[in-house]
Parts: sequence; structure tokens; C-alpha cells
Amino acid sequence: MQAQTLNRRWPWVAIVLSLTIAFVFAMISPAADSLQGFERVRIMYVHVPAAWLAYLAFFVTFGGSVGYLITRNLRWDRIAAASAEIGVYFTGLAIALGMIWGKSTWGVWWTWDARLTLTAIMFFVYLGYLALRRTTDDSVLRAGRAAVLGVLGAVQIPLVHFSVIWWRGLHQGPSVVRADGPAIQDPLMLTALIVGVLAFTVVYVSLMVKRIELIHLEDRKAAIDQSIERPVAGEAVTVPDLGGSS
Amino acid sequence: MNGWGWVAFAYATAYGSLAVFAGSIAWRIRNTRRSIGETE
Amino acid sequence: MTTGFWHQVTAVINRDLLRERRRGDVLWITIPFGAIALLLVPLAIGTDAILLRQIGPGMYWVIVMLFGVLVAVGKASSETLPQQDASALLGLDPAAGFVGRAASATLLLLIFETVVGLVAVGLYDVSIVGVPWLIITLLIVAIGLALLGTLTGSIVNSTSAGTALVPLLVAPLSVPLLLGATQSYEGLRLGHSILSWVLLMAAVVLVVAIIGVLTARPLQET
Repeated sequence: MQAQTLNRRWPWVAIVLSLTIAFVFAMISPAADSLQGFERVRIMYVHVPAAWLAYLAFFVTFGGSVGYLITRNLRWDRIAAASAEIGVYFTGLAIALGMIWGKSTWGVWWTWDARLTLTAIMFFVYLGYLALRRTTDDSVLRAGRAAVLGVLGAVQIPLVHFSVIWWRGLHQGPSVVRADGPAIQDPLMLTALIVGVLAFTVVYVSLMVKRIELIHLEDRKAAIDQSIERPVAGEAVTVPDLGGSS
Repeated sequence: MNGWGWVAFAYATAYGSLAVFAGSIAWRIRNTRRSIGETE
Repeated sequence: MTTGFWHQVTAVINRDLLRERRRGDVLWITIPFGAIALLLVPLAIGTDAILLRQIGPGMYWVIVMLFGVLVAVGKASSETLPQQDASALLGLDPAAGFVGRAASATLLLLIFETVVGLVAVGLYDVSIVGVPWLIITLLIVAIGLALLGTLTGSIVNSTSAGTALVPLLVAPLSVPLLLGATQSYEGLRLGHSILSWVLLMAAVVLVVAIIGVLTARPLQET
């Protein structure tokens, strides 16, 4: 029982541990490089990792989609689906943190800079992928369709990336607005950033393990539900007596 | 709001939402386990 | 059907265009929808001529992206499952089916772009500039959007999704087309070179076409 509980619980423990370490680094790292005291830079220590995970999860969904199309093994589809759900969360978080950074720095919640806009577009690609999955119950059908969309979406993203960057490049105002914040060069600050990225990666892997476990459980439940004999409605319905000769 | 205020806001958002997200997965796992246990 | 690939493509195009001639979804529904959308915007944001001239081209292309894709959706979802099974049994190459449907959607989208474009010129005083390149832009956008809509339509095919899922899926992926089209128009208006934007849109067309053809059979077999 002890071993089983540890088996199940280790992802949660890993999440708490890694985030605690990252938090400590974020708080004790110096807040100034060449500028005056600049506490807000600590926001970068969660924003950048979240954005990194958003792209990593997207890439894994792409990999899972390709894997499924090649092997037709549902395991790849499970990876793709789990990563998409986790990815949509981290994309949303990256956007939210980017908006907090923007509001605190320039006083506006949204800056139409390339990276923020790109992340928003990616968010909708993810959402569409999840919406598509919800429309199909049959697991094989769903896997095939989602895989094609996964490939289509992923391959389009570089083109979206270029188009948005070129577009913004034409409208660069006098104040160069970077939603990804100041370039962090101080080694201690860089350490906090890297620790943050590593910690969030641990979080991603842990969440993946748990999310895939959930998929397995749901598949098992669905299989059980289908095999249980339930009373058919007909037994509750009696033949109407029309009074004529039967 | 001063610098630390914004930092606190950001971290509360990050860790708070993560707790909710991870918690929802844990909750769904528990519920699904229960309903399997009931029918098995 | 043991006929060649392009023969099959032509057959699919003819079938789709015949269907459009009979039911007229594009002519009577999608085009008027795009047109009235252009009409509604000034009602909401103001009729100042200078403002409208500024936003006109952008509004036009957004409407093409969001509403024009419905032209391609109509093609894919108007085929019921039994009809698709029949096509498969007759030996229709799914890739030919995809190319044919995308081609007919392109033609209908060109009509959509032209008619709604005239409405934009009328209501927003949009000027028509750089005609040869403008036509190329309209053509590339039509092809790209038709490919996106047809492929996405096949993915969403015969689900209980409702009609909004395809536009939702296409919208973020159509951003390079949207930016390419709007920047090209601006470039033509100001006399800049728009080659890089045209090449970007062409890349979209190429990528989606390849994916569409490669996944046509796997999609049919699911």
C-alpha cells in the first residue's frame, strides 16, 4: 500500500518540490542588473518558463500526432491529447503573465507585439484542437482526426510566426516594446531563470504522467460502461391495449 | 501598485492557477477511480 | 473508377459546381452574409468617410477569412456519409476528392471575393490599386482558404460539431493569409514591393496542399 501510494503521489511531490526551489531562487536573486531596483523582473522567472512550456507542449502534441499517423498506436494519441490540455493551460498562463508584465510596465493590458500576439494565436489553435476532440466519441476516429489537425496546426505555426513578426517589424514605434521583458544578462538572474525553466519542465512531465493516467482510467471506465448489461427501456414500456383483437 | 505588488499578483496567478489545474486532474482521477470501483 | 487522377479531379469539380448551381448556397447565403457584415460595421463604429477608407481593406479581408471559409465548408459537409461511402466504393482516390473539392471551393471563393469586394469598394470607398498583383493576391488567398477550409472540413466531417467549428479551426491558421493580403494591399497602395508577402502566402498554399493530399486517404480510412 505504501509503495502504491508513493507510486501515485510522486508527481505531486515533484511539482511542489521543484516549484518551491524555483520560488526561492526567484526571490533571492538580485533584482537589478544595470538598472535601478527593478523587482518586477521577477515576473520573468514565471513568465518565461510558462511560455517555454507552452511551446514544448505544442511540440509534443505535434510529435504525438505524427507518431499516431505513422504507427496507429493509440498511445501516441494519448500523449498528444494530454499535452494539448496541459499546453492550453500554460499558454493561457503565459498570456496572463505577459499581460501582467505589460500592465505593470507600460500601463496597458495588451501590447500588440509579435510574441504576445503569436502566443494568443497559438492559444486558439490549441483550443480548436481540444474542441475537435470533444466532438468525437469513437477513440480511433477521434485520434485520426486530431492527429491530422495536430500536424496541420504545428506546420502552420512557423508561417504564422513569420507573418506576425514581419507585420510588427513594419510598425515598430520609437519605443521598442518587448513583451518578453528586458534582456537578462546578470549570471545570478540568469540562474533564477534557468531554475524556473527546469522546474516548470518537471511540472510538465509530472502533469503529463497524471493526465495520461487519467486518460487510461477514463478508457477503462468507458470500456466497463459499454460491457455492463443495463435494462433496456423496452422492459419499462408496456404494449398499449387498443381494445381490438390482439 | 509597487513592484512587489505586481510580483505578488503574478506569482499568485501562476501558482494559484497551477494548483487549480493540477487539483482538477487529481480530482478527476479520484472520481473516475471511485466510479470504476463501484461498478467493478 | 479506373480513370486517371486529374480526370477524377475534374469529375469532382463538375459535381460540386453542379450542386452549387442547383442549391446556390454560396450565391444566396454566404455572399449575402459577407455583404451584410460589411454593412453592419459602419452602423456600429461610425460612417465617417476617412475612418471607413482606413479600415475598409482590413475589414474586407477579415470578412473573407471568417465568412469566405464557409464556402469551402459547404463543399465538404454537403456530402453525406452514404455519398462518401459510394464515392469510395466507386474507387474515387481520396486525394483526387480533396483536390477537386478544394478547386471548386477556390472558384466559388473567387466569386465571393469579387462580389464582396465590390460591396467594400462601394460602402468603404476602397480604391482598387495595382491590378495585376491584386488579382494574384485574390487568387492565392482563395486557393489557400479553400485548401484550409476543405481539409478542416474533412477533419470535422459528419460530427455533431455545428457549423462554427471549421471557422474556429481555420481562423488562427489563416493569419498568414490575412496578414499577407492586407500588407499586400497596403504595399500596392504605397508602391512597395509585396513579393515577400506573396511568397509567404504561396508557402501556406503549398504546405496545406501537401498535408491535405497526404492525409486524404488516412482520413477516409478512420
